[in-house]
Amino acid sequence: MAAFRPRIGSFSRNVSASSSSLTPGLKHGPNGTTFISSGVPDLDKILGGGFSLGSLVMVIEDAEAPHHLLLLRNFMSQGLVHNQPLLYASPSKDPRGFLGTLPSAGSSKDEKSSKRDSDEEKGLRIAWQYKKYFDENHQSLDSNRDSKKEFCNDFDLRKPLERQFLIGKQIDCVSTQDSQNLVALHDRCAAFLSQFSRNESSVSVAGRIAIQSLCAPQFVHSDMEWDMLSFLRSLKGMVRSSNAVALVTFPSTLLSLSTSKRWQHMADTLLSVKAIPDEDKDLAKLLTGYQDMIGLLNVHKVARINTQFPVILEATTFSIKLQKRRFLVLECLNQAPIDGSSGSSYSTSGSCSGSSRTGTLDF
Amino acid sequence: MADSICRALRDGALEGEHAPALTIKDNIASPFGFDVFSHVLSQLSSNILAGKSQSRGLVLVAFRRSPSFYVDFLKRKGVDISSSHKWIQILDCYSDPLGWKDGFSLETSNVASSCKNVKDVHKLLSTIIELGQGLVGQGKVRFSAAIDSVSEMVRHASVSSVSGLLSNLRSHDQVSSIFWLLHSDLHEDRVTAAFEYLSTMVASVEPLNQFGNGQRSNMNTFPLLEQSFAKGKFHVRFKRRNGRVRVACEEVRVEQSDVNFTSVSSDNGMINEGLIPKVQFNLQLSEKERIDRANVVLPFEHQGQMLAKLWTD
Repeated sequence: MAAFRPRIGSFSRNVSASSSSLTPGLKHGPNGTTFISSGVPDLDKILGGGFSLGSLVMVIEDAEAPHHLLLLRNFMSQGLVHNQPLLYASPSKDPRGFLGTLPSAGSSKDEKSSKRDSDEEKGLRIAWQYKKYFDENHQSLDSNRDSKKEFCNDFDLRKPLERQFLIGKQIDCVSTQDSQNLVALHDRCAAFLSQFSRNESSVSVAGRIAIQSLCAPQFVHSDMEWDMLSFLRSLKGMVRSSNAVALVTFPSTLLSLSTSKRWQHMADTLLSVKAIPDEDKDLAKLLTGYQDMIGLLNVHKVARINTQFPVILEATTFSIKLQKRRFLVLECLNQAPIDGSSGSSYSTSGSCSGSSRTGTLDF
Repeated sequence: MADSICRALRDGALEGEHAPALTIKDNIASPFGFDVFSHVLSQLSSNILAGKSQSRGLVLVAFRRSPSFYVDFLKRKGVDISSSHKWIQILDCYSDPLGWKDGFSLETSNVASSCKNVKDVHKLLSTIIELGQGLVGQGKVRFSAAIDSVSEMVRHASVSSVSGLLSNLRSHDQVSSIFWLLHSDLHEDRVTAAFEYLSTMVASVEPLNQFGNGQRSNMNTFPLLEQSFAKGKFHVRFKRRNGRVRVACEEVRVEQSDVNFTSVSSDNGMINEGLIPKVQFNLQLSEKERIDRANVVLPFEHQGQMLAKLWTD
């Protein structure tokens, strides 16, 4: 079993063949880590596979644009589609309302498979479900193919998530507005994460935590910066020892500079979103595809667990576009004079530059 | 673009969306914020009366001026106030905000109700909503809200509770639009940033001549000060639904409590350099880089001179 698998790097876990087919939604990563999808296919590719289980992902919001909500929505929808329990905290009074804005998976394969399920008789359906649990190797070819493709879905932002994904799933919502201190949120996170503690060697189910706008001004202790920092530190520790990923967004302009830096250092993976000005002729001349862009995404840090090598990306700034006004795509920035054609997605291009300073490890 | 602001407030919120919110901010060098606020107020009032706006009523929370001032102001602007109690309610937080004047009967009219305790932000929120629902009923009809000065509110209550009030108002089903005034000099940058975070449009009034990096004109420029007293720059940043930011600039002139907006011919020649990384190849050296280049001692260039120095020292 283990001998047949190629060795990647000096340290690799001897994973036996039977558990190499993980539940859909999880993927093996380098150095013994496991990935779950972020919900945005391009982002998964940029980050090298997805979000590592046990990492804390932080997104710096731009006060002038709601792009962090796009990332949040895709993250949450992906978790629901993969049957991963979700804990969602938001500063509004009714967090459940946000669930109504989650997008549904846009690829047609999903629609076909769900239709097939409902058409089958009940007896056959039960048998099929049992097969899935007890005998992973004997999965039908179709569902196997689906599960491989389904690691990351393309989410159609115009269609709301189907009811079947919302009913009966484990979704906890917390409103951070009325609570007097962070202890309540901390306890909810701890209770949620205790379900996914890392005892066994194989991962059966992964959890997702999504916290929106952690230091929003409505939040009662946006003044108590040290408390929030301790909460983050504790959350990071809890997440690291469990099979879960926490995604926290925060508007850094509302924090003092030093606090904002401390928060950024807390993150395992750090992204930031930025708004772009509308009808800016200079930007339109400078960048191709400006008409379709709605914002910019910067990748500041990528999580690397169980290794000392940092990830150095070719490009760190990507433009956020809505393809056909439905699907979120991230593209490398292309400057207009050199590349007259429209921008290419990350996997194919290497021509554009990120920052002009190269990492210190680049030779 | 004051017209676009007024139009945005008039059109109000779409179904399922939070209400548009406008922050008007000014500073000591260009203290025309209240004039802009009252201009927006009169525009919205005439739109409500004419039935052109989504909202059917207006709740004004007055901290800085008395309700009678507003009634007179609207009368002067030609807004019909004879039926005013049907479409406007003024919450009087000016006469007795902290309830000090016990037993002193305040004048009440059918448009004004007084608030005796501005520190209780929850009560304030429910009073605003009650007044609004009193104007438009409890159904689907919406009302607008205006707050005379959020800077005043923050004197009495914490920033987080005031932010909570504003965001709850925005997310309330029956609120069509809200706008408030803020004096940015009175607060730390973070407080101003917090209120800008909550709003969808930020209109700032700035002085015409700003020296260096936003320093206020000093005493030596007295003549300039007098000349530009009644004029200022009006910057607006719209957060559009597609996630982009629209920036617009106009000139504002205040004459005898009349406010005029004229478009500015200057171009926005600046590229937002902070946004994009060095995408463009820059073959020119900056001044500092030129000096540094001149200072570099190349390894084999001065060999002869170094040896010569050794002999002579």
